[in-house]
Amino acid sequence: MKKYSSKRKCEHRTYKQALLIWICILMGVSCKKQIEVQAPPTSVNASNVYATDATAAAVLTSIYTNLSSKDRALNFGGLPSISLFAGLSADELTLFNPANQSTTSYQPYYTNSLTNLNSPSFDFWYQIYPIIFVTNSAIEGLSNSTTLTPLVKNQLIGEARFIRAFCFFYLVNLYGDVPLVLTSDWKANTNVSREAKAKVWQQIIDDLKSSQDLLSGGYVESDAITNKIGTERVRPNKFAASALLARAYLYSGDYLHAGEQATTLINNTSIYSLNNLANAFKPNNSEVIWNLQPVGTGTNANTGEGAMFVLTSAGPNTSNYPVYLSPYLMNAFENNDQRKVNWTGNVNVGSAIYSFANKYKMGAGNTTSTEYSIVLRLSEQYLIRAEAFAQQGNISGSQADLNIIRARAGLPNTLSNDKASLLSSILHERQVELFTEWGHRWLDLKRTGQVDAVMSVVTPQKGGLWNTNWQWFPIILTELQKDPNLLQNSGY
Amino acid sequence: MSITAKLLRVMKLTALLLTVFAVHVTAGTTEAQTISLSGKNIPLKEVFSAVKKQTGYYVVYNTKEVEATQPVNVNAKDEPLAQFLSLVLKDRGLEYTIKKNTILISKEQKKITGSLTPELTPGLPPPPPTVHGRITNEKGEAVAGVSISIKGGKTIGVTNDNGEFTLTNVADNAVLVFSAINTETLEIKLNGRSELAFSLKTKTSVLDEVQMIAYGSTSKRLQTGNVSTVKGEDIAKQPVSNPLLALEGRVPGLFITQSTGLPGSGVTVRIQGQNSISKGNDPLYVIDGVPYASQMLPTISNILGGSGGAVIGGVGSGGGNPLSFINPEDIESIDVLKDADATAIYGSRAANGAILITTKKGQSGLSLVSASVQEGWGKVANKMDLLNTQQYLRVRFEGKKNDNASVLSTDYDINGTWDSTKNTDWQKVLLGGTAKYTNMQASVSGGNNVTKYFVGFGYHKETTVFPGDLSDQKGSVHLNLSNISQNQKFRFDLSADYQSDYNQIILTDLTQSALLLAPDAPALYNPDGTINWAMTPSGTSTVSTWNNPLSYLNQKYRNKTVNLVTNSNLSYQITKNVEFKSGFGYTNLESNELAQNPLIVVAPDKRTSTSRYSIFGNGSVNSWIIEPQILIKQNIGHGKLDVLIGGTLQQTSKNQQTLYALGYSSDGILEDIRSATSIIVTTTLNSTYNYSAIFGRLNYNYRDKYILNVNVRSDGSSRFGADNLFHRFGSFGGAWIFSKEKFSQSHLKFLSFGKVRASYGTTGNDQIGDYQFLSLYTTPSVAAPYQGATGLQPTGLTNPYLQWEETRKIQAGIDVGFFSDRIIFGLNYYLNRSSNQLLAYAVPITTGFSSITTNLPATIQNQGWELSLNSINIKSKNFSWSANLNLTIPTNKLVDFPNLESSALASSYSIGEPITLRKLFHFVGVDPATGVYQFTDSRGNLTSTPNSSTDRTVLINTAPSMYGGIGNSFRYKEFQLDILFQFVKQEGLNYFFGNKPGQFFGTSNIGNQPAYILSHWQNPGDIVAIQRYSSTYPGNLGTAFSNAQQTSDVSWSDASYLRLKNLSLSWQLPVEWQKKIKIQDCRFFLQAQNLFTVTNFKGLDPENQSVNSLPPLRVVTVGIKMTL
Repeated sequence: MKKYSSKRKCEHRTYKQALLIWICILMGVSCKKQIEVQAPPTSVNASNVYATDATAAAVLTSIYTNLSSKDRALNFGGLPSISLFAGLSADELTLFNPANQSTTSYQPYYTNSLTNLNSPSFDFWYQIYPIIFVTNSAIEGLSNSTTLTPLVKNQLIGEARFIRAFCFFYLVNLYGDVPLVLTSDWKANTNVSREAKAKVWQQIIDDLKSSQDLLSGGYVESDAITNKIGTERVRPNKFAASALLARAYLYSGDYLHAGEQATTLINNTSIYSLNNLANAFKPNNSEVIWNLQPVGTGTNANTGEGAMFVLTSAGPNTSNYPVYLSPYLMNAFENNDQRKVNWTGNVNVGSAIYSFANKYKMGAGNTTSTEYSIVLRLSEQYLIRAEAFAQQGNISGSQADLNIIRARAGLPNTLSNDKASLLSSILHERQVELFTEWGHRWLDLKRTGQVDAVMSVVTPQKGGLWNTNWQWFPIILTELQKDPNLLQNSGY
Repeated sequence: MSITAKLLRVMKLTALLLTVFAVHVTAGTTEAQTISLSGKNIPLKEVFSAVKKQTGYYVVYNTKEVEATQPVNVNAKDEPLAQFLSLVLKDRGLEYTIKKNTILISKEQKKITGSLTPELTPGLPPPPPTVHGRITNEKGEAVAGVSISIKGGKTIGVTNDNGEFTLTNVADNAVLVFSAINTETLEIKLNGRSELAFSLKTKTSVLDEVQMIAYGSTSKRLQTGNVSTVKGEDIAKQPVSNPLLALEGRVPGLFITQSTGLPGSGVTVRIQGQNSISKGNDPLYVIDGVPYASQMLPTISNILGGSGGAVIGGVGSGGGNPLSFINPEDIESIDVLKDADATAIYGSRAANGAILITTKKGQSGLSLVSASVQEGWGKVANKMDLLNTQQYLRVRFEGKKNDNASVLSTDYDINGTWDSTKNTDWQKVLLGGTAKYTNMQASVSGGNNVTKYFVGFGYHKETTVFPGDLSDQKGSVHLNLSNISQNQKFRFDLSADYQSDYNQIILTDLTQSALLLAPDAPALYNPDGTINWAMTPSGTSTVSTWNNPLSYLNQKYRNKTVNLVTNSNLSYQITKNVEFKSGFGYTNLESNELAQNPLIVVAPDKRTSTSRYSIFGNGSVNSWIIEPQILIKQNIGHGKLDVLIGGTLQQTSKNQQTLYALGYSSDGILEDIRSATSIIVTTTLNSTYNYSAIFGRLNYNYRDKYILNVNVRSDGSSRFGADNLFHRFGSFGGAWIFSKEKFSQSHLKFLSFGKVRASYGTTGNDQIGDYQFLSLYTTPSVAAPYQGATGLQPTGLTNPYLQWEETRKIQAGIDVGFFSDRIIFGLNYYLNRSSNQLLAYAVPITTGFSSITTNLPATIQNQGWELSLNSINIKSKNFSWSANLNLTIPTNKLVDFPNLESSALASSYSIGEPITLRKLFHFVGVDPATGVYQFTDSRGNLTSTPNSSTDRTVLINTAPSMYGGIGNSFRYKEFQLDILFQFVKQEGLNYFFGNKPGQFFGTSNIGNQPAYILSHWQNPGDIVAIQRYSSTYPGNLGTAFSNAQQTSDVSWSDASYLRLKNLSLSWQLPVEWQKKIKIQDCRFFLQAQNLFTVTNFKGLDPENQSVNSLPPLRVVTVGIKMTL
């Protein structure tokens, strides 16, 4: 009997012990730490990316990387493809065989007949806002970070605000009123409505002024701190902010400040000076304020502009070489304009002569990287200041700046000597100086109010019908459906 | 002592058939076999012959022993057999055993009895007698898990793995009841014996076969959930290399689709329909207790076809199926768990049901060596009727004429470049080959009371029907080892399954070329045996006029995969009622891919502008799992309570890299990545999934009559945001075996079994991808990094509130058996509602992205009826016939979707309609005036340019509306024949409209058409099905064609089919012959898969409904299997 009970007790104890051990294991099982996972090493998490200088800088690097890779695929859409599509919409580029284009994306831009069914990949709205999201995330993350080197932090916030301004600049120019998205919070950004253009311009100017303060005067390397003045001009610096700010002031009619900003660049002769025409599109040359380094190799080693615009002896075709320079542009060159010689080329196919943009010389066949895509260059600053002076009545100042540009092109001084004729000469000069660069012509026609006069003649020739509504691109239908607060531009 | 087992009822089913006895224990009923005999001094010999005469039982005895005994005096009238025997043998030193219809008389084996010691002080109880025993089955194998109870009382013991038991404190005259899941219950009167050895009859009813459930096993009889079992022997009858394919048509509620006829094909598996709109719909696979992958990692080539995996978080799933790497021969059984009762214990992983795979284990007894060799042939079963050259040229010229177009220099098929008198049947040339099938298996198994083992080896090779030397080879090893300690308390099990697969196939499926190549396309080879590129006559630019399909054979692709699944279980019996157990599992699936694109693949004229490259892919999925469990068995009242409490810790890691290598100087060195001048890492994948849970199950069984089952689980998963890490799931189910009730036994005598069961519970779907809650930054992939530095960019919007998708399941069923369970009928109703759907919710691009993954209260309902019927129609010594039928009628419906109209999914779904819906244009034929297809718009007007967003007025469900299988098994002497028909009623995308008749792209191999297109519009007024031919399809003609071909109610038509899925015929060497040559078993067999299909489907095959992928093949094999 006694034996019995002791055995039972013993069993009881084993049982209890096992249960105890087992409960401990279960406690471990239910521990929260047990479940949480580290972010995968192939990726960095939003909460730690802004913790170190290197990863934080890499976020901005990815923006330039993506801009550059979009530049190489100029005809696949993306912000840099504005050089192609805005050129088609204006009087700058002619589309080859529009009726038989293998991709239907060019034709609506060319004939000014965009609809709200435009493909998202060829839609600037759709392409630009994702960049703004990255800049917003970066500005928030960088500002909240306490572990970054202060210089790096400033530089990166400056770069992010610069890019945000750059994005809004194109949005406001292409669409008019646009939603001012300044946070990364998706809930807040879901039901946004459009803000008046003036407010957008104010934001652009605020961002650029801030980035002027934050950015380094020299060009930094990918670590955002090693300063190498004048070598690789592939990240925006203080003067890139000034250059864009000059443009923003000019576009928004603040001529005084536009001139001031342009002057800071023109006077900074240690870094910036006009180059001869042949070298004006060489990478990182003295005229470059900001250029994008190509990120491809082989046939992708050079710029998208070169690959698309520089025609081969076979001339344009419907696939790789769909455009050539329009007769309006070619006829705009004055006699003896050396830009026509240096920056355009011709190819004869049968009896037809096709002129093409030849600023970048490296076509699709070149596999050694020798050219970068230039976003901002000094000659525009002369034209900005010339225009600002003209608007302010400084005729001689305006003439002087204009003549610097004309002289480089081998042209005599301007004969314009009053505000109106000067403005008209400057617009003309911008046409032949800045053609096929970042949609300048289309933006100039719109901001100077010339768009209806010019396009009502040109559009019918291109096979479309002009209406003043068409100067604003439409918002695509799916976006309108997803955001009921978003209103379409009129006419669409 | 003599065995005094009491057979209370012995029932003989039929004299004509093979005699089968079902032994039932029912207290108080009279025995079937009785004896009437009276007389004095009758020798036992005469008594036995009287017994034989009256009962038909053989009586076997040792003449010497019997003759030595005293004669008996008897006076019995209708005395039950057992009583009678006990009486006559009493004090004769003999005992008896009844086995089947034989009574065995043997010498009584005297044992030292723990007899009473009368000297003991009165008042104190005598020391309890101990009873030992061993229980075996008919084959002499130990029967474990037999519970022993005192009649009318509580359970007092259970047999161990060796069938042994020890009982204490048992009264001398106790009547012991021995019962187990899969044996007949037996009552034995102890009569003071202390040593028992006897055999229990294995239950023959299918209701008593073991069914595996989560963390345990039960039988169909006692099951409260909806579980279907497919046995290894049925899987072995099918010449398939993926065990999932052997389930097609066999399980109600389970729908399986094979993607292609290539070896290693993708297989889509759906249990009771689709629960999730955009996330994974795969069941949880568990192999020997270890969760297993349901999808392959993304593969370079998708030629093997997908397995119905969703693209989650930008990561899709690859071609093929992970279960292809499990040798079907190693499988003992597959159990398909469907309702909440069966799956809620798997919590967040089992909303789509679970498939449990149990591998083969060793049996104690003689070592068995078994080997089989199988050789087979596979063919494409169905060819499409395509245009011959004469018809083809007519179509082409008419297309040209209709367009007023001239014959171009690139119209090689009609401009004289190609020989227009040539007429090649490209289906015959490219798909007409025979796939060879070789399968060799060997196994050794055996063991003793302590250790058992099973080792299996397999080799499998399949080639393809394509030309060229393409094949898939597999080698596998399966090992199972189990051990139990001498004191029977500590138990250890180890199983390991390893397979190495070498798949050398092709990157481009030739099916598309076979259907589209113009019949007058050039010959594959030049007269000198080289590949014919059919170059245009030399001139300034001589070009190839076609893309020789044989060149694809040079695009070498190989995939080496190794797969390991191991599991070990340790258990310790702490007390009689409490067992501690822990499972440890590890799986590793690794694949290594190489795709080569040498220059010789492209035409000579394109080689200067093409660069050769190769793609290397390496990936692995591995996971480990630890599951400690405690099992408590307790008798409460007249019922048995089983409690299981356990925990799970699991981690799964996925790793993958894809390298794109180019800049090679020659085709011969593409396999060597060092010879590449440029290497781009195109994808990297590195993810970890952590999972942990606590679970419990409570099962109360009251006299095998009322059974209640409750499951709970609390899950934590790393796939969810920090704010929603844990979630609880649970279910309760009950069964009432009403055939045990008095009313049933007295009024429903035709019922041998009757059970109703019902369950309700919740399960979750966590197949939503890893890190969906994190805002991840990844490196944009570029060849020349910006400033030489890598960038980091966000990949999506963050949602820290992500949760499980939850499925609530209601299930009710009835199972009845007639004629001693010879007919068993089951009917099941299910209603599953899945909500909290994780969807890519469309957000405006102003947020930075076009969508965000979020839980939406959209609800999907799957409802259906499952029916199954098993019958043994004839069962005799030489001939038997059994049949089974299963039928499923599913419906699916989107019950709720807030703001569907304004979401991006509005064009795909409608509330009240299935989520497998297609919205289609109503096709009204060809406009007799213009010869262009016409459709009705939303207002009923005819139009050739319907609006995609408003005019899709016809709704078609693409999921099957009914499916099932009918199987029949015949055995005649040594012949065994099994036939399984599979049937599906469904709608699918057909190939009626062809591929733009009249159009030709020589270098894309596009030209030919199905013969359906011949009846076409030619002149105004023609009323025909096909619009006018064209060579360019300008404007409306082209859009009308696309609308008709892809999105009209004529292109989506009946794809129902009836298929002879499997036929298996075997002949076993007669037993005497086998004995003579001293082998245990030898059989020859013939197996066939997909032998024929009856369908109205307009296309190659109604199962994969593809014109780009090879249809499932018709396979016939012959083989021999021997066991020594």
